[in-house]
Amino acid sequence: MNKELEHRFVEQLQKHQNIVHKVCRLYTNNADAHNDLFQEITIQLWRAYPKFRGDSKFSTWMYRVGLNTAITLYRKSKRRINTQEFNTVEFKIKAEEYDDTEEQQLKLLYKAVHQLNDIEKALVFLYLEDKDYREISQTLGITEVNARVKMNRVKKKLKTILNP
Amino acid sequence: MDELELLKKDWKNAEKHYPSLSHDEIYKMTHSKSSSIVKWIFYISLIELGLGLILALVNPRIDNEIIYPTWLEAIGYFTIPVLIYFIVMFYKNYKSISATDNVRKLIKNILKTRKTVKYYVLFNLIFTGIFSAIAVFIAYIQASGGYEKFNETAHFKEYAILVLVIVLFSALFIAIAYGLYYLLYGILLKRLNRNYDELKKLEV
Repeated sequence: MNKELEHRFVEQLQKHQNIVHKVCRLYTNNADAHNDLFQEITIQLWRAYPKFRGDSKFSTWMYRVGLNTAITLYRKSKRRINTQEFNTVEFKIKAEEYDDTEEQQLKLLYKAVHQLNDIEKALVFLYLEDKDYREISQTLGITEVNARVKMNRVKKKLKTILNP
Repeated sequence: MDELELLKKDWKNAEKHYPSLSHDEIYKMTHSKSSSIVKWIFYISLIELGLGLILALVNPRIDNEIIYPTWLEAIGYFTIPVLIYFIVMFYKNYKSISATDNVRKLIKNILKTRKTVKYYVLFNLIFTGIFSAIAVFIAYIQASGGYEKFNETAHFKEYAILVLVIVLFSALFIAIAYGLYYLLYGILLKRLNRNYDELKKLEV
């Protein structure tokens, strides 16, 4: 029975593994850390799986456990390079190289997102995943109004990082 | 174009470039060891809870020649139910930690679990401080030939110095222990506290 449950779980996770990869992409910045976090999320998902009742979608449930692991449960390993705090000096140099091509802009954008704090990253992540404010607020445990307010602040913050 | 819209477009395009792990690889991962912060907190807490109980049960007697009054020993045993209460609370809080809660509730529950152990340690420290202060007082009086003799020869000044020294030493001991403790958890829970504050700030 347990084996059967486990294989069913792995099957579902394999199908939706991109969700986990995407969380890792935002919360880590090298391949080792990516794998570490992926593994920890997998462990946490498996542990919580017996309580998954199927009244929510497997993928929706994954978002919650995935973010919880990235924000709260995961301990940064030594290999992981810390996400830098907002560093103006670095960005002034980057801004000079600023090129209007889309690719260049995207590079800067991802770098800027990596500089956000854990909660802000979660907002950006859910936004990129087309989640509405109701789901965002439920995942984070804040009100819908505050989720909107915070999202606007994050947008502003990103603009400031990109155009200092 | 809005920055985030540009990002969203690329985010969707990147979908096909993520690594694709096989069934076996994921299966292996489900069997690997977790390194989550909750696990660490749990183990550290167990050590703390255990140490407290051992301390309460094995009343250390440094000098057997000194006879301590039975009421002092009774107070020592009286703390055991208090410690057990803390342990039950810790267990209940620990059980309430669930990765399927929302982020805010999850962090809150983890911090609550930690707080129980903090109070437990604080209780132990203060109690040990008071307990040893009384014990030292009794030992000192006995060593100087019993209460009556001490009473005859000692004046207010001797009393004052004795009490002051005991209180100072106990306070120093508690302060150092608590300071180290605070430092340790400051480091361990830094990220949790920061994220919780960030969410709490939003609710004001």
